[in-house]
Parts: sequence; C-alpha cells; structure tokens
Amino acid sequence: MRPCGTFDERYSQDMAILRIKRHWGLLIGALILLYLFPLFGSYYFISLVNSLCIGIIIVLGLQIVSGYCGQISFGQAAFMAVGAYTSAILTGKVGLSFFLALPISGIVAGLIGLGGGAPSLRIKGFYLAMATIAIHFVVMWLIPHLDITGKTQGLHPPAPQIGSFTFDSDEKIYYIIVTVMLLMTYGARNMVRTRVGRAFVAIRDNDLAAEVMGIELYRYKLLAFFISCFYAGIAGSLWAHWIQVVHPEQFTLLHALNYIGMLIVGGGGSIPGVFFGVIFLRLLDEGVMFAAPLLASIFPWIGIHPAASMSVSVFGIVLIIFLIYEPRGLAHRWEIFKTSYRLYPFSH
Amino acid sequence: MKEFLQLAIPGLMIGGLYSLVAAAIVLVYKSTRVVSLAHGQLLAFGGLFFWIGLVVLHLPLPISILLALVSSTIMGWLVERITLRPLIGQPLISAFLMTFAIFMALDGVFQLILKGESKTYATLLSLGEFEVVGVPIRVVQLISFAVVLLVFLLLALFFRFTKTGLGMRATAEDHQLSQSTGINVRTIFSLIWIISAIVASVAGMGTAYVMDIHFPLPYIGIKGLIVALFGGLDSLPGALLAGLILGILENLFAGYLDPLVGGGLKDVAAYVLLLIVLLVKPYGLFGLKRIERV
Repeated sequence: MRPCGTFDERYSQDMAILRIKRHWGLLIGALILLYLFPLFGSYYFISLVNSLCIGIIIVLGLQIVSGYCGQISFGQAAFMAVGAYTSAILTGKVGLSFFLALPISGIVAGLIGLGGGAPSLRIKGFYLAMATIAIHFVVMWLIPHLDITGKTQGLHPPAPQIGSFTFDSDEKIYYIIVTVMLLMTYGARNMVRTRVGRAFVAIRDNDLAAEVMGIELYRYKLLAFFISCFYAGIAGSLWAHWIQVVHPEQFTLLHALNYIGMLIVGGGGSIPGVFFGVIFLRLLDEGVMFAAPLLASIFPWIGIHPAASMSVSVFGIVLIIFLIYEPRGLAHRWEIFKTSYRLYPFSH
Repeated sequence: MKEFLQLAIPGLMIGGLYSLVAAAIVLVYKSTRVVSLAHGQLLAFGGLFFWIGLVVLHLPLPISILLALVSSTIMGWLVERITLRPLIGQPLISAFLMTFAIFMALDGVFQLILKGESKTYATLLSLGEFEVVGVPIRVVQLISFAVVLLVFLLLALFFRFTKTGLGMRATAEDHQLSQSTGINVRTIFSLIWIISAIVASVAGMGTAYVMDIHFPLPYIGIKGLIVALFGGLDSLPGALLAGLILGILENLFAGYLDPLVGGGLKDVAAYVLLLIVLLVKPYGLFGLKRIERV
C-alpha cells in the first residue's frame, strides 16, 4: 500500500516493510484496536478472533511448506495434534510452565515433522501429498494407543499462569494468542525474504533447476517441513490451553483439508494471503452456521442439523470456484489493488 | 491354517472391491494425467443410488442397478464437464486439488442425505452362505468378487478390441500426438470419466453391501488411491493385484497384530504400506518410471 510518488533512494527504504509514516500510523492504530478489543468485544467475537489467530498460525506454516516451497502437506492437523499433546503432557504431567512448554511443543512437532518430510527426498508433488496423508493417519492412530496421551479420553491441560495470575478465560488467553500470532507472522514475513525463503521459492518453481543452482534440495525441503510443523505445533499448544481439552477427534483429516482450502482461497506464496484465506473461509463457515437453521426451517427435508454437512459442501464449492476463476487466490486481487492504488491519479 | 484362511478369504473378497476403485482411478490417470481423490464420492454415490432404488423406491434389483449406473454416468460426465475441463492446460497439481474440492463438495451432500444415519441393504440381499474348508463364505461376496473380475475382463476387452479403446490408449501416450491423428481428446476425457464413474459405482454397490452406507464410505476412495499407487498409477493389472494384496494384508494385520497393540490396525495397515511403497518403490509394482528434464 504505497501511494503514488514514493521512491526508494536507499536500500534500507527498499527493504522496509513499513515504508511511510502512514504505515506506522495504521500499524499502531490496528495494534491498539487489537489489544483493546476484549474490553468492548462480546464473548462470541473474542473466541472467533482466538480461533482465527490459531488458524492463521497453522496456515502460515502450511504457506511456508506448500505455498513457498511447493511441497503440499496434508499432515498439518496431525502435527498440530503433536504440539497440543506435547504441551498438555509437559504442563499437566511434568509440571512445566506453559511459556516453556509452548516453544518446546513447537520444536517437538517440528522434529516429528522432519520424519514427515523425509519421503520428500524421493517423491514430490502428488506422491508426497499422499505420503503426508499416510503420516496423518499413522500419527493419529499412534496418539490414542500410547499410555502417556490418556488413550481415547484425551488430556486436560491447565490454563497458563504467570505468578498467581491465571489465563483461564477467553478474554485473558486472547492476549497470549494474539501476541504469539503477531510474532509468528512477523517471523514468517521476514523469513521468506531471506536466503532461505528465496531457496524455497526456487525449489517450488523448479526443483531440478534449483539443485543445479547450488541449493541443497533435501536440506531445504526438510527445513521447510520443520518450520511448517513448528508453526503447527505452536498453534496446537495454544489451542490446547485455550480449549483445555485435547482429544484425538479434534484433529481429523477434514481439518487438514480445511487448512489446504484456506491456502488455496488465500493464494499460495503470499503472507497476506494467509490472512485473507483464513478469515474468508472462517466467516463463510460462520455464515453457514447462521443460515443453516434458517434453511432447515424452510426446507424441513434437509434435516434438523444440516450445518456441519452444509459447511463442508459450501467449502468444496468455494474451492471449485476459486480453482477455476481465481487460481492465484485473494492475494492476487490484493496485489492488483495495491498496484492500482500506487498509480492512483494516473491510469498507468 | 484355518485361522489364516478365515482372515485371508474375506480379505480377498474386499480386496477385489479395492482393486475396482483403484482401476477407476488408474483409468482417469492414464488418459488425463489427473490423480483423482473424487472417486471415493463417486463410489459412495453409486452405493447411495442403489440403496435409493432398492429400499426407498422399492424397485426390483436389476432396475435399481440400472438406476445406479445411469446416475453415476451422469455424475461422472458432470464432474468432468463442470470442474475439470476448465483446468485443461493448468498445472496438474491444481487438477489434483480440484478433485479434492469435488470430494468435499460431494461429501457435504452425501452427509446431508444420510443425516448421520447408516443405511443398509444387506438384509434384503442375503443369499445365504456355504463353507469351504471350514471358512464361511457369503454367496453375495462371491458374486461381487465375480463381478469385479468380470469388470476387469470387460475393461481389458474394451481397450484391446474397440476403436474408442484404442483412442484412449493413444491419448494416454500423448495428448498432442493423438489430437493430430484426429482423436477428439476432450470427448475421450469425458468418456473416461464416465467409464471410471461407472466402475467406481459398481465398486460402491459392493462396498456398501459389506460395510453399509455411512459416513466413512467415501474414504474408501483414499484406500483406492493407495492401491493404485501400490500397483503403479498407470497399470490396470497392477491395480487388480495390489487391491487383492492390500485386502488380504489388512485382514492379516488386523487378525494377528491387533491383540498385541490394542486395535484399529486394520485402517492404519494400508497407510503404513503406502509409506513403505512410496519410500522403496515410488512408481509402484508395475508403474512406468518417468524421467524429468528441466
């Protein structure tokens, strides 16, 4: 969002994310609004923002491995489960503080994700996608069969604490979730501009050519998987301590498919795209939840509880429309808007 | 030995159905290079239409079979025409994602029709059972296994002896070359989707008989995909063989190892097998290895 007539004269200006004063103003205003939101927002909206933020963290990870590095992963829900369980075990059974368990669960999920990335040495594209589906099912089978995870009953992680202050309600944990989300976004936004991020893009565009250019394919692919699963693990940990129940049924293949859908709608290879995708599909979901009982009262033959199945259907139809008419996602529209804003008083 | 046979023979029967789903996926992949997740839904709807004909509308058996086949023909054609034709020329991975979107869109409709219940027609078609070396075999299962073999035979004959079949084999080799010899590649794509939808719906009728029509039925499509990968994505005989192997292995895993690890192995066995296959032999048993150039 740069207005007409802003020119870069130094490298530092070219590299800046916040280029002009108006950006700083907007950022600070948005941050103040975000942090004061629990004071005037209703319970429904606060939990909506919480779930949006967690979704954003997961899809950011997916964006790095799929959107930037080009390795489609259907395993995101399983790695989120790994993070959630690790965090629940560390805080509930070992007695660690949440703030230590949070990064550890990210790292554990990342390390297990290295196992998920291992097949990428030999296979790619659709074959790798199938391998990640297989990994999802293996992980989700293992979890309820281990003793430490509380079998099929699940675990009840405690609420995070600092001293005697407990983050036990949606409004209180909101601050943790939003802060972590902002940090993760900042990290991702900068990571994709570094050498590593550029190597990812090279691998996505043509892996053979990237290898010839001197990029160590396997190392960077594994790194992409590690980072993506780290994000999923962090999100899982936040989720566990927000909902305070961890159960195998919270992490199904359907969830993983949902995240892929958010990536498609948002647009691959773009950090703002993650925000667009997650917010668009979540709001659509809420809309369906709202409209479903209405439809059910008009057409009684569709049953009493059509919301769940209808939202799946609507999700699929939206994906079909996006794949045909806007394969580059909402992020592409955003780029077009930014370019035209930059030219604003002139036509080109 | 008796225990082994008790596990292996039903496994073989189910395996036949897996190979049928895999065959549908292989057909589509061979001609269009699109790997399809959507066949699980085509299968589920095949079973559903059959159930609607037989139980809801009280039609006689042959007419309900006909109803199921005709409706899946229409579905296969619609899926190709509406969703996949606009993607010709796009990267193949987006076609893969498209089949996944179709899966989701149809899944919602499927669940909406089921309303969380499980529909069955097993009681309507129980033709009794008999014993072979102490292993009970249901007659219906035997019939469905025979149908599987018949479908494979028909497919082989179709590809070997008809002109359309020849055109499909040519399309599988190279799209541009076959277009320039006067084959209408788009028509072939439509036809292939229709044939594979019919094959999938036959598999659906059989599968729905064994495990009822309820919410996990479409996920048989993922199993079919595993079988297709195991056999090699462009090999019909591979699909048949791999399906039978997976069916047997699944039951053996479940029968011998489940008591040791505490259940649920039947569903995971397929995925473990898939991981091993992808790591050791990514192109499957009979698949063609593709060489890539920049």
